[in-house]
Amino acid sequence: MSTVKNWQLGRDMNYPYDARFPKQQFAFVFNINRCIACQSCTMACKSTWTFNKGQEHMWWANVETKPYGGYPKWWDAKILEKLEDANPGGQVWGGKPADGRDKPYGTFEGQTIFEAAQRTLTPDSARVLGYLPTDEEWNAPNIYEDNPIGKKGVRNKIDETGEQLPVHNTWFFYLARICNHCSYPACLAACPRKAIYKRAEDGIVLLDQAECRGYRKCVEACPYKKSMYRGNTRTSEKCIACYPRVEGTDPESGGEPMETRCMSACIGQIRMQGLVKLAEDGTWAEDRQNPLYFMVHVAKVALPLYPQFGTQPNGYYIPPRWVARPYLRQMFGPGVDRAIENYVSPSRELLAVLQLFRRSNRIIYKYEIKEGPKIYEGSLHGKKVELYNDTVIAFGKSGREIFRTTVEEPIHVRPNIHANSI
Amino acid sequence: MPFDDPEIDDPNELVGVELPGDETVTLEMAAAFADEFAQLGFTRPQILGLFRRAEYTGAYQAWTLLGEEAIATLVDESLAVWGRVRYVVTDAVADEAVPARLFRSRS
Repeated sequence: MSTVKNWQLGRDMNYPYDARFPKQQFAFVFNINRCIACQSCTMACKSTWTFNKGQEHMWWANVETKPYGGYPKWWDAKILEKLEDANPGGQVWGGKPADGRDKPYGTFEGQTIFEAAQRTLTPDSARVLGYLPTDEEWNAPNIYEDNPIGKKGVRNKIDETGEQLPVHNTWFFYLARICNHCSYPACLAACPRKAIYKRAEDGIVLLDQAECRGYRKCVEACPYKKSMYRGNTRTSEKCIACYPRVEGTDPESGGEPMETRCMSACIGQIRMQGLVKLAEDGTWAEDRQNPLYFMVHVAKVALPLYPQFGTQPNGYYIPPRWVARPYLRQMFGPGVDRAIENYVSPSRELLAVLQLFRRSNRIIYKYEIKEGPKIYEGSLHGKKVELYNDTVIAFGKSGREIFRTTVEEPIHVRPNIHANSI
Repeated sequence: MPFDDPEIDDPNELVGVELPGDETVTLEMAAAFADEFAQLGFTRPQILGLFRRAEYTGAYQAWTLLGEEAIATLVDESLAVWGRVRYVVTDAVADEAVPARLFRSRS
């Protein structure tokens, strides 16, 4: 085991390989407050990459109802339970969320899936604490997860009047997920054939189909369960981050890097994906005008999913503001309270950056704000709100403008025939 | 989900588990949806239509539990702020179309 720096945990940790970082890293922010589980992302991915025979159970992109659902079923509850068994009562965070980039969420004092494996697994070659989901757990994602019960005796079938079934009489939210293209991938760490690699140019984690022999070690190891086994080819497969689009080599891109299919298809406008610059130690290099950098490190509204697993995932979420805080702290770490506070009372800049979501399918490398006059001051839900007539401008890789969003007060021109009416 | 009858000794079966949640939480969820979609430029009928559709379970549950009047009040509050403005998106003028590169060179 090597010692590597995990900035999300605020400490060094053990990992089977030395740290190697790409020049820039594929990363994304999902705003859960907006997700209504329309599944447009899910179907965009499905119809692009996993529509073939043997891939029927594969959903590289999925949206699940939390806390009731999951794909595969109970994926997070199971790995959390395994970690708790390995380190009873010790899976806690210390310190407090800070402003710096080094320990933004405090320090995780528990065990990661790599560290817990060293203590609990045999033989010594077992590198990652995980489990292999059963076939039943992969089957039928989403079905009835919004409902506590289905119809008695009806199985493996979507209810034709499902909307009339009773729903959970408490809070829930929709969690959209894809592969996190982690900085310390558990799938990569576990593969005995070294078939999985992280690209130096963009940090996308790929699985070489020619090298894979279908041992399913990656399926077992990935704590997010985003590596999947394909029975008819006897190999495993995973999200490829639509890399031809990210590279700008997709015919549609015209050479300009594009966001993935799942991002582009999002009608709820919850998603933004980009590439962030990395420093030599794997932390995010200062890039103040990158919208992802701003949301993660400046506004601090976007948080990693289950950072305590230790893989340093590159998917970040703006947590849902209505959900019980203890649940969110377990899912997104101790930064939750600050993130929700900052999101509910957004700064002028954050309001502008939120207007960059889904206005284009090109990757935004930089933004600028042209400030305008204040046009409204008031309150909403007891919080102060100020609106400005600002314009936010998005720039692509080449530094050229992609689009601009302007806040405007509508001007109503009275028609001539009513020119003097009140 | 429940293809099999619940196994009472399975700790992962969410049977009879009580989670904190009440009208206050539902109200907060409904307010979040109203705010978000008002910011996206949805109109009053469009936002209310979202709550009335059973397919959008979260919003629909709030509408069922709190009633049309309470939801309409929330939507009006959101629109009183976010409905004041409109967001105008302007695409940059593209240069001459870049020819699509369909194949990579082998060299």
